[in-house]
Amino acid sequence: MPVTVELTGVRFGYGAEPILDGVDLDLSAGEFAVLAGANGSGKSTLLKLCVGLLRPADGSVTVLGGSPLDPAIRRRIGYAPQGLRMATSLPVSVTEVVAAGLTPSKGLLRRMDRRDWSKVNAALESVGLGDLSAECLFELSGGQQQRAILARALVADPDILLLDEPTTGIDQRLRPALAQELRRRADAGATVVAVSHDPDDFHQECDRILVIEDGRVRQITHEEFHTHLALGGGGSR
Amino acid sequence: MTRLLVPFAIRAYLAGGLVAVTAPVIGSFLVQRRLSLIGDGMGHLAFAGVALGLWMGISPVWGALGAAVLGGFVLEVLRARGRLAGDLSLALIFYFGIALGIVVLSAIDRFDASALTVLFGNILVTDWTDIAVIAVLCAAVLGVTAVFYKELLAVALDEETARASGLPVDRLNVLLLVLTALLVAAGMHVVGLLLIAALLVIPVAAGSRLAHSFRGSMLWGVAAGFASALVGLVGSIAQGTLASGGAIVLTAIAVFVLATVIGRRAARRHPRRVGA
Ligand SMILES: Nc1ncnc2c1ncn2[C@@H]1O[C@H](COP(=O)(O)OP(=O)(O)O)[C@@H](O)[C@H]1O
Ligand SMILES: [Mg+2]
Repeated sequence: MPVTVELTGVRFGYGAEPILDGVDLDLSAGEFAVLAGANGSGKSTLLKLCVGLLRPADGSVTVLGGSPLDPAIRRRIGYAPQGLRMATSLPVSVTEVVAAGLTPSKGLLRRMDRRDWSKVNAALESVGLGDLSAECLFELSGGQQQRAILARALVADPDILLLDEPTTGIDQRLRPALAQELRRRADAGATVVAVSHDPDDFHQECDRILVIEDGRVRQITHEEFHTHLALGGGGSR
Repeated sequence: MTRLLVPFAIRAYLAGGLVAVTAPVIGSFLVQRRLSLIGDGMGHLAFAGVALGLWMGISPVWGALGAAVLGGFVLEVLRARGRLAGDLSLALIFYFGIALGIVVLSAIDRFDASALTVLFGNILVTDWTDIAVIAVLCAAVLGVTAVFYKELLAVALDEETARASGLPVDRLNVLLLVLTALLVAAGMHVVGLLLIAALLVIPVAAGSRLAHSFRGSMLWGVAAGFASALVGLVGSIAQGTLASGGAIVLTAIAVFVLATVIGRRAARRHPRRVGA
């Protein structure tokens, strides 16, 4: 399978102190990876480097064969940031949030058509929000809001899915279905990266577990991940 | 009451209606992004623009428009660099605009009642040329917003994710501010440069009390703006001496209070809160 995300020797810090210090990472089409690591270890930072919201101080980030600053490449990435980073000044319906995920790939001057709306509905169904599409996002529970953000990342059928703590606030009993949905996306050829501290979230479905430690990324086994957590390395729960 | 239908009154309804219907459309994006004060900043700077325009022999609308656009760029640069976070820089811009306007107007000996017209509007003295300019400005704002609606909305919802997904966020931000500047210039005669931001914000706030979506807030906002303009104008024309701009804005505030009460009632009767 072709490599879709390639980081070599990536260094990055917000100030003088490096957060990522020589990250090497290859991800391929069809791969479903879980990204773990203690609070503040740089998981969100790593995803932001992959979507070009941050630029490495050193090293290179190649996504789908090009730069993550290229709009044409960015349109093929589905990114779900950590938490609801949204101004709540005006009511916003769940449908409006999810439809925003289609906007970049629609192109200017193109209006949403019936096929687009059916994609929006399909994305909402896949996260179990079909019934709540007309509701105001800010009147929903944290888990429901998180699922809407997830649907926004899924709706355009992107080649790469970068999901920052997608299970936060989501009911334990809903998580397996979510994991299966992401597995389906990977099987269909997408590269999926989900940040998670909970080995049970994606344990059954993921191909690789990556952990950030001391500014570097390494791959560990499920067993190591459990021990890692037991030793208190997993962080934020 | 025949005075309600004389030509100057008809012109007032046209100008007021156009601006009051257009302002909430652009105002929705500003309110959602917590940029309401940017409209105010542009209004204050536009006052200096009017004064400089008079000094250079340019018509007030174009002076206002030029200063608002220029001010919009400056404000956007400051905003993008996170320099508008505190209220100090916006306050400085407000004072700068008004002080510069007054100094220039008095220097050219034009600091008279017409300054009040620019600051607080006097829709009752508009002529057909003014109406035509207002109509063109409003049509431009509505047309461009319709074309870029989904892009502007995506940025208003979540600027960072919009950027990550490949939208030209910086250009869309500049577009939003240019559209706001056009509206500020259009609204100068209607409610004046000190109150135009009120029409950008208050009807949208009223609309948000009745809606469950961004689009709904915008459409209710348009209705609230139109109703406010109509009631305010009819009131000031019927009474005869009331300042139309102030009457429109006071009506808008009353509409906001009304919408808040209605929204609360509706929420109590049909609770929409859903389970975990
Ligand atoms: N915008 C920022 N400015 C300065 N420091 C930041 C910023 N964002 C994150 N950090 C710091 O960088 C480190 C890594 O953050 P982050 O990538 O969010 O960690 P994680 O997602 O693994 O919890 C943390 O120490 C955090 O405090
Ligand atoms: Mg994080």
